[in-house]
Amino acid sequence: MVVSTVERIAIARLVHRVGFGPKPGQFKKMLKMGFKASANQLLNSGMPDYGDVKTAIGITDLGAQPKPNDPALAPYNSAKRAQLRNMSLWWLDQMVDQELPFGERMTWFWHGHWATSYAKVDEPLVMFDHIARLRKNALGDFSQMCEEMILDGALVYWLDGQLNTAKSPNENLARELLELFTIGVNQYSENDVKEAAKALSGIRVVKNSGLVSKDVRRAWTGESTILGTTGYFESATLARFLSLTPACQNFIPERLSYRFISSASTMTDSLMKNSEQVKSLRLMKTAFKNRQVLPTMEALVMSPAFQDPINSQVKSPVEWLVSVLRALRITPSRCSQPDLLLLLLDTLGQRPFYPPSVGGWPADEAWLSVASSQTMIQAAQVIVAEGDLSSLTSVKKTERIDQLADWLGVAEWSNRTRIALQGAIADPARLVVLAICSPEYLVSA
Amino acid sequence: MQNISRRNFIKLTGVGAVAVAHSMTNYQPANAASPKPLPNGTPILVIVTLSGGNDGLNTVVPYSDPIYKSLRPQLAYKEDQVLPIGEGLALNSSMTGFKSLWDNKQLAIIRGVGYPNPDRSHFSSMAIWQSASRTPIKTGWIGRWIETQPENPFLAISLGSTMPALFQGNKRSGTVLPLSGLKTPSGMLASDLARTSKSTKSDGQLSATAARSVRDLFTVTGVVSPILKNPAPPAADLPTVVGGNAGGVSNLAQQFDVVAKLIAAGVPTRVWSVSLGGFDTHANELSAQSALLGTVSYSISKFMSQMRAIGRSRDVTIMVYSEFGRRVRANASDGTDHGTSGPVFVIGERVIGGFHGEQPPLSQLKDDDLAVTTDFRSVYGSVLEGVLYTPVDRVISGWNERLPLFTA
Repeated sequence: MVVSTVERIAIARLVHRVGFGPKPGQFKKMLKMGFKASANQLLNSGMPDYGDVKTAIGITDLGAQPKPNDPALAPYNSAKRAQLRNMSLWWLDQMVDQELPFGERMTWFWHGHWATSYAKVDEPLVMFDHIARLRKNALGDFSQMCEEMILDGALVYWLDGQLNTAKSPNENLARELLELFTIGVNQYSENDVKEAAKALSGIRVVKNSGLVSKDVRRAWTGESTILGTTGYFESATLARFLSLTPACQNFIPERLSYRFISSASTMTDSLMKNSEQVKSLRLMKTAFKNRQVLPTMEALVMSPAFQDPINSQVKSPVEWLVSVLRALRITPSRCSQPDLLLLLLDTLGQRPFYPPSVGGWPADEAWLSVASSQTMIQAAQVIVAEGDLSSLTSVKKTERIDQLADWLGVAEWSNRTRIALQGAIADPARLVVLAICSPEYLVSA
Repeated sequence: MQNISRRNFIKLTGVGAVAVAHSMTNYQPANAASPKPLPNGTPILVIVTLSGGNDGLNTVVPYSDPIYKSLRPQLAYKEDQVLPIGEGLALNSSMTGFKSLWDNKQLAIIRGVGYPNPDRSHFSSMAIWQSASRTPIKTGWIGRWIETQPENPFLAISLGSTMPALFQGNKRSGTVLPLSGLKTPSGMLASDLARTSKSTKSDGQLSATAARSVRDLFTVTGVVSPILKNPAPPAADLPTVVGGNAGGVSNLAQQFDVVAKLIAAGVPTRVWSVSLGGFDTHANELSAQSALLGTVSYSISKFMSQMRAIGRSRDVTIMVYSEFGRRVRANASDGTDHGTSGPVFVIGERVIGGFHGEQPPLSQLKDDDLAVTTDFRSVYGSVLEGVLYTPVDRVISGWNERLPLFTA
């Protein structure tokens, strides 16, 4: 079967960016199906029903933290660590094990969008519920997502929403709601921030359960004027109102494009210089008119910009690790050193539940450094040693380099890399380490 | 998980180290690919980040101000508990090293430094300090400076395991050097990786950067690993404190030792970044902060002494900052909450020692917080022009102010 390079690039992008990299054999299957059919299959794979995950992996309300001298403190702390570990591995397991992990890919995107960190929330249950809320809305209605997230215990606590009262405003949550979550920078005035803070005031959060309630004695009860509209705004009405603004119809497609197509140029730049980008963004914005995520992603994947060779992206550490584990058939929670995987992500600077700030994780060049190369090369050797290399060892040596590209979902090897791989052809483990540390694998071309 | 140190990752993987030991004291360029040693007389900047928000009022203490005593009675130092340096101000008693630098006119204290409209969040404050931008951007001010210079993986080195935002450029960034050093694979894998990381015309910009980061790993490891086996330069003229020097084995002192070894060996690095955390003293502040400041003061005095021993003391400038100062009024847990401005220290033999900028008056607090009397970008402006010889507006667009911090 001869597939054009353009088609290979498009399918490689599809499987790595919209999924988490191919499982053994999956890339070849997609090449046979072609880009369009593969895209449709992936985009319509939906979100699995996981049942009662909290019971299955033991996520519970641990109650208030015991006082420093209380003997209950040590068991409390170890229970907390165990829960965080379980939910981290559980999530990675889903990314790795699912045949078509589009739902988790989108949940992961939203985690970086409504970026909330365990570092401050410090409660496994509350962070688990936060991600569950993102997962529930990941492919659906963005307005609904906004309504639910603005009253999410982890998010409110993370941005000091419980400290925001009518008498003593704290604008943190209001500002980020406008700037990072719904309409984007420069789309509002400082006065809009103040008025939005009024609308969000009086919310209380129970730290250990994440339970949110409104205390009317601490809340602003009058009208507020936001983006020129006056009314009795509260958390949910404000969030929905913002999600329905024209600014939001631009902003969310731009964020999706930043993460799934290219972070290289802001859309305002590209509007002027790249007509493919302009056209693609217009398609996405039209698709987002009813604030539905799935059609917007369909427009993104089918847009010319998604296939434009100029739009390469660096795999983030989670994307890199998960795609390696998928290819090697290693389920994180069942491998010999699950904690090492979490430590690896921590060392590389991208551990689930720990975005570095409310702005989410960085992109592209930020993941490439001398220190990260060292860590990755070390990690690759350990991981490959316990992986299933049968996809490679089952073929003749002369076919291994091409097989490697199909197995890992690499569009094409550069001559440089091909020469290096040729030298390692008889040593499958070294061959795979080289391949997964190569520029062609680190970068989604 | 959170109590496992990042540095342990390499140990846990059990993958062996391979650096070849050399017993050379000075780095000698081995071949054309190796960098030339930094010529004597080239200015070097060391940036020290104190993360968590250092309480400036208990660092440079307005001990004689009655408002200071009344707003934080349990946290206020008395005159006999501090090291007076004039104008009613004193250094924290743990900062004896800084006091000597001050007496030798090698310590500039810039007072009331901060950014406009402080928002008191660690994340945004640190992002603003490191990017030198009030609105979020992805590059750091040193990262942008790096991009004004010829490509050199040794140009700017940060001690740690992840790239600080400070060093992030658009296309090129600084180098991250873990305190434990770098390790690269040996044998066949090493030579194969050298092949996969060769530059090639077919690479796009990101692939080229990916290849370069692996290539730089080998280049930097090859140069740095033998040097890290050297003993640190002596700190012969450093006075020994009775009972040992506080902070002698701290992580910050170790970072400075690595920097000292590499400078002594002539590695061509113009900017170093080191850091110390733990300044977020919401509770029981006095002893914790004093210990941290002792570590900072000791590590820096020792480092300056090492630089004198190797004849680089006139080349080195150190800048110490934190993302914000703390609230004037103590909280109910004998600590302080997030505040606004604080002092920045600039240290070196070319520095104009003494006070710069106005002390924010305690009688004129804004929302219970100190006023910002000096914009942090003015400090950067002086450092960029006085140490890095780069016009400030090439790095911080639209900014033109600087302070008179350096002798001509």
